[in-house]
Amino acid sequence: MTDLTCAQIDRTVLNTLERPRPRYWVFVALLFCGVLLGAGAWTYQIFVGIGVGGQNIPVAWGTYLINFVFWVGIAHSGTLISAILHLFRAGWRNPIARAAETMTVFAVCCAGLFPFIHLGRVWQVYFMLPIPNQRLLWPNFLSPLMFDVVAISTYLTVSSLFWYTGLLPDLAVVRDRSTGLRHKIFRLLSLGWTGAHHHWLNYSRGYLFFAALATPLVISVHSVVSWDFALGVVPGWHTTIFAPYFVAGAIHSGLAMVLTLMIPLRRIFRYDAIITVNVLENVAKTMILTGLIVGLAYGTEYFIAWYSHNAVEWESFRWRAMGEYAYGLYFMIMCNVLIPSLFLIKAVRRSVPWLFVISLAVNFGMWWERFVIIVGGVAHDYPPHAWGLYAPRLVEYCIMVGSFSLFFFLFLLFCKHLPSVSMTEMKETAPHAG
Amino acid sequence: MNRRTFLKIAGLGSVSFAAGCSPESPKYLYSLVQAPEDMVTGKATWYASTCRECPAGCGVLAKNREGRVIKLEGNPLHPVNRGRLCMRGQAALQAVYNPDRLKTPLVKDKDGFRPIGFAEARALLKAKAWQAAGRGADRVRLLTEVAGESQMELFRAALKNWNSRGPVVFEPFAYEALKTANREVFGVDGLVSYRMDEADVLVSFGAEFLETWLSPVEYAWKFKAMHAVRGGEKGLFLLVSPYQGLTGSNADHWLACAPGSEAVVALGLVRRMLAAGGGMHLPAAFREALAKASADYAPETVSKLSGLPPAACEKLAGRLEQARRPLVLGAGCGLGDDNGLKTNLAANLLNLILDPQLTRIDTRNRHRVEAADRRSDVLDLFLTLKGGGCDLLILNNVNPVFSLPAESGARAALSTHNLFVVSLCSFIDETSQQADLILPVSLPLETWGEYGGWSSIVSTLQPAMGRLSDAPHLGDVILEAGFENDRPAPDFKTYVATRLHRTDRVRDELQWLEMMQHGGVFSATGPPASPQPNLLGRLPQALAMPYEPPPAGVAFTAAPSVRFFDGRGANRPWLCEIPEPVSRVAWQSPVWAHPDTARANGFDQADMLRITTRAGSLEAPAYVTEVVRPGLLVMGIGQGHTSYGRYAQPAGVTPRAEFSPTDSVELPFLTYVPPDSANPFAILPAIVDPACGGPSFNAFDVRIERTGRTVKIAKTDGSRTQHGRTFLLTVTLDDLRKAQPPPKTGLTMGDFPLTLPLPEGYNPQRDFYPAHEHDLYRWGMVVDLDRCIGCGACAAACYAENNIGVVGELRTIQGRKMPWMEIVRYHDERRLERVMFQPMLCQHCDNAPCESVCPVYAPHHSAEGLNNQIYNRCIGTRFCSQNCPYKVRRFNWFTWELPEPLNLQLNPDVTVRSKGVMEKCSFCIQRIKEARTRAKNENRPIREGEVTPACVQTCPTYALVFGNLMDKDSRVRRLCNDPRAYQAMGYLNTKPAVIYLKKVLHEV
Repeated sequence: MTDLTCAQIDRTVLNTLERPRPRYWVFVALLFCGVLLGAGAWTYQIFVGIGVGGQNIPVAWGTYLINFVFWVGIAHSGTLISAILHLFRAGWRNPIARAAETMTVFAVCCAGLFPFIHLGRVWQVYFMLPIPNQRLLWPNFLSPLMFDVVAISTYLTVSSLFWYTGLLPDLAVVRDRSTGLRHKIFRLLSLGWTGAHHHWLNYSRGYLFFAALATPLVISVHSVVSWDFALGVVPGWHTTIFAPYFVAGAIHSGLAMVLTLMIPLRRIFRYDAIITVNVLENVAKTMILTGLIVGLAYGTEYFIAWYSHNAVEWESFRWRAMGEYAYGLYFMIMCNVLIPSLFLIKAVRRSVPWLFVISLAVNFGMWWERFVIIVGGVAHDYPPHAWGLYAPRLVEYCIMVGSFSLFFFLFLLFCKHLPSVSMTEMKETAPHAG
Repeated sequence: MNRRTFLKIAGLGSVSFAAGCSPESPKYLYSLVQAPEDMVTGKATWYASTCRECPAGCGVLAKNREGRVIKLEGNPLHPVNRGRLCMRGQAALQAVYNPDRLKTPLVKDKDGFRPIGFAEARALLKAKAWQAAGRGADRVRLLTEVAGESQMELFRAALKNWNSRGPVVFEPFAYEALKTANREVFGVDGLVSYRMDEADVLVSFGAEFLETWLSPVEYAWKFKAMHAVRGGEKGLFLLVSPYQGLTGSNADHWLACAPGSEAVVALGLVRRMLAAGGGMHLPAAFREALAKASADYAPETVSKLSGLPPAACEKLAGRLEQARRPLVLGAGCGLGDDNGLKTNLAANLLNLILDPQLTRIDTRNRHRVEAADRRSDVLDLFLTLKGGGCDLLILNNVNPVFSLPAESGARAALSTHNLFVVSLCSFIDETSQQADLILPVSLPLETWGEYGGWSSIVSTLQPAMGRLSDAPHLGDVILEAGFENDRPAPDFKTYVATRLHRTDRVRDELQWLEMMQHGGVFSATGPPASPQPNLLGRLPQALAMPYEPPPAGVAFTAAPSVRFFDGRGANRPWLCEIPEPVSRVAWQSPVWAHPDTARANGFDQADMLRITTRAGSLEAPAYVTEVVRPGLLVMGIGQGHTSYGRYAQPAGVTPRAEFSPTDSVELPFLTYVPPDSANPFAILPAIVDPACGGPSFNAFDVRIERTGRTVKIAKTDGSRTQHGRTFLLTVTLDDLRKAQPPPKTGLTMGDFPLTLPLPEGYNPQRDFYPAHEHDLYRWGMVVDLDRCIGCGACAAACYAENNIGVVGELRTIQGRKMPWMEIVRYHDERRLERVMFQPMLCQHCDNAPCESVCPVYAPHHSAEGLNNQIYNRCIGTRFCSQNCPYKVRRFNWFTWELPEPLNLQLNPDVTVRSKGVMEKCSFCIQRIKEARTRAKNENRPIREGEVTPACVQTCPTYALVFGNLMDKDSRVRRLCNDPRAYQAMGYLNTKPAVIYLKKVLHEV
């Protein structure tokens, strides 16, 4: 519920598309170097072999899959905010919907790279495509990795289309206020949007349908990702709570990333009037809920491990708390459950610095949660004679830096070249539109 | 066929093989228009020969494919090893194809070694020899390893021509104490063999008969013949030793005596047996003297000196007394000191007292290694050299600079002024490095010859492949250099043939051919003969002397290694890569210490220690383990080379052997500068026992210092205990004898029934998918844990058969080892000093967790139940390994490199995998396919026993059985009904096709 007029909204948002200062380009260039570093490291890995990373037997999955799950998790809140909250008519999501959705698209892109980076023979990845071929070979749709292929590609397609659909009226606004090359580009991008009545009619119908279509995906994608683990026999993986546990965790981390992105954006673009503290507070309130769900999941895992009387399961969880990676468990409990519960204090959840710091903590904690699950499970698997540890190595760090750089690189380009707040949706909540 | 034709064909064959061994990789495939008679492309030819990796002399069959030997297997006709080989035998190929093998002779001038031609080198040797011979008597000396009788005879003849005395035979493990004890008690100045298979109670005072002692493969099968459970009965093996090596780990009970006190325990037993009325058949005077000599060893004294609790000694004595067919073995090869001699004497006397007829001592099949000279003679030779008493020293495949203590001055003796040293060695080892001329000669697999591991047999060698270089045969070199016009034979092959003919071992050419085909003449092995005790009426002098306890303080023992023998195996990548069985450490030789020793001296696992004896010091990492008695450090022999090619580790801890592509991203803490030496031989005292002339591999009162550095131990185990899981199960003999409980029916780990990977294993209550249908075959393996001794021969055979990559030390530390078959070692949770072994390989599950998770169907369930891995299909997601509850899948993190010519060893029937694909045990599918083709051609099903995977083929103790589970009469299927049968972690309902039989514990 903004007090701004439509013109103020347009002006505030379009001001962000002014010619950027040199400092912006320095950041963009730095991030691009980060991307190049990651790409270089990947190229090196392809030529030399996946062994340049730290994976081994028993821990054959390392940071690549941790980052994959991490980015898929980040990708969740965008759709949650833009689709589910749209269906619920939660008006407070309007100022952040665009940026959150963009975050989703970019995070899925980053996530989608990792299964490729992770492959031992990435040049044969087309074996996973269900295309009829003379070899009469067909992918194994029983494999959770095939579920992933379907789920992630669907999610990427739907969330990109959803994002683009929502962007159309705003693209037309930019087109109308710009000249020269930018005008030409935006004319092309806005697909002939004129603001005619039937355009608006189709647009709002389409947007609603997309929202309805995207809503189950929020649940399904991370459920499917969780099945990569839950369908395995590995102790610590093979549990039925994984799907809701992962979905809640994903939303938790996604919301944290929304805060991480929105707070600087709000400051740099002087969006204080648009992205109000109330909006941020609502995000924080949601995080209290997701944090509690995640905490419940942690507790349930331990309870079931004890209650099952399964020696293997119990040993696995005992080791999780006492073994070499115990710090990971404490990071995740601290950062994902305890620290976000500070949001129960109103002053904390309305303080922008606190919000920012806690959002960073949750991002950190959620990364470690994936580490604890993915590495910890197999490191302490069934055969004690094959227990082993894992530590990432330089190439993996480079690729990790590359993926974060790619994400922020794309996001930085986005917020100076596309309207980072949905003018259309803001205007819907403007007083006269009431 | 007459001899000439045979020679022609053999010659033609050799030439074609040599032509086939071109080092360049061929671009085109041609088929031979006229192939040699015995060569069909795609079909293996087998040549019988004799393994010369140690003096045991096992028979081998060399598999030749398209001109090169690709695999060695035991010769089933050979009485020593009965078709089985140890890991060193399997790795003999890696000497032949070693990339560090010399291709030309090297002569030393002031700038170091310079290559010369073979003809030139041979001429130089001949000139030097005759020159030296002209200067007087004994100016030419020859130091050789134990060689065949023909070879020795030729040496003697040549040396005689050179006006010199016979060769000195050097073996680091020369059994001086044992030989002396045999002479004193049995009247046999040599090494008798033991009919261990007939014993029911075996007591050993440290003889490491499963590792290096006398003839390890032979004693492995003999040991399990007495020690494997059969009809509720099982022999008993008791060990008295300060530490447990591989042999000790197989003991039912380990009496951890103080270092140097074995003799006390043994003599205590003698005293007790005499007191109990034993030995009445001994000459009265002797018995009296013996009783007098052993009177000092009353139980309390024994307990005090040996540190053993009286109850343990009592138990040992009681078991030995009750035994119907006892056999006592003496000390290990490292005990050539007074203690060792006393122990061996006491052991022999115990045998004599307990078994007057000595039925389990065999003098007919004496071990060839008895030909080795005593250490004192070897040291005398070096003294002579140092004194300038010789002009030419010829070294035949010995490495005294490495395997003699540094104190002995062998290195200095070799560089004596005016001494010309010729080393007939194919590698630049520490000794060759001191030589003036290195003349590589062909290796045993490329040579004609004869070497009988037992005195009663003839065991032949023949070239099993073409030659990789122009290196001449050793015999031919000596024939050429040692004789002018009186050459006894044109070449060594003729020499061997003539000699065998002369000694009536071979009657005619037909028999010669037969002998070559069979690998020797074994028919002469008639009934074994027992020795006639020869007690000379007086007590062996050593026994009359009082026992002197060794100096107090921490003791150090250099232990013979199952992997490297005396160090000669250290340049074979497989032997380095396969972990030491008890510690599961690959590539390195850490120092074992008991946790108490570690605590007392303030060090911990992986701390780099500096160990200083009176004779020198070395640095090695610590490995803390309960298999060593407190107050003792044990270090495996074999590594610590300063020169023996790229694979021989200088200090056992240096990431030197790099196999994979340059990986610049290495962890900085792994780079470590090695100390001068980590060779345990080097720090031993160079003294010999005056009574037997033997060395001691022990040093007492050593100093331990922490260097402050730690290293990464290349250990290949995770947890040492199995945390109550059902991988390695045991059953006590008593429980086994009791009535068997009803079959299990539950779903928990301890309660899940044996579920065969067959349609009858399908249970609608447990299974989601229907059972796999099989037409004729469902392959399966039974692993008898009671028979497995953990020697690792299977692992080596698997490396050889399946072209498995060798990853090196660094990547072993990183968890990138590749074995398809590995021997898992677990310590008993209740008694950490008890070590148990379990062969772990792909379980070929019926309900395989790996198969369902692969997105591209690379793991594929075959119609015969095999879990195949399709390399071409694999894209490297590694999900299969993640989901494997046995963690037997191996990933190619890199394309492992094989420096030429190691690639010539590759088995053409097995794909060489490249980077990015998963691999694992295939049950040697290439052998199954071969048998199926044969069966199909003959229009019949595959017969029982027709398929033998490489591991099963080589297992010295018959612990592995392979066959068709669909056939109700097959051995594997019948063994599934054994009450000991179980499946590793069967409760996961994976329905493994590898059925384990529980290890039977013989509680004492």
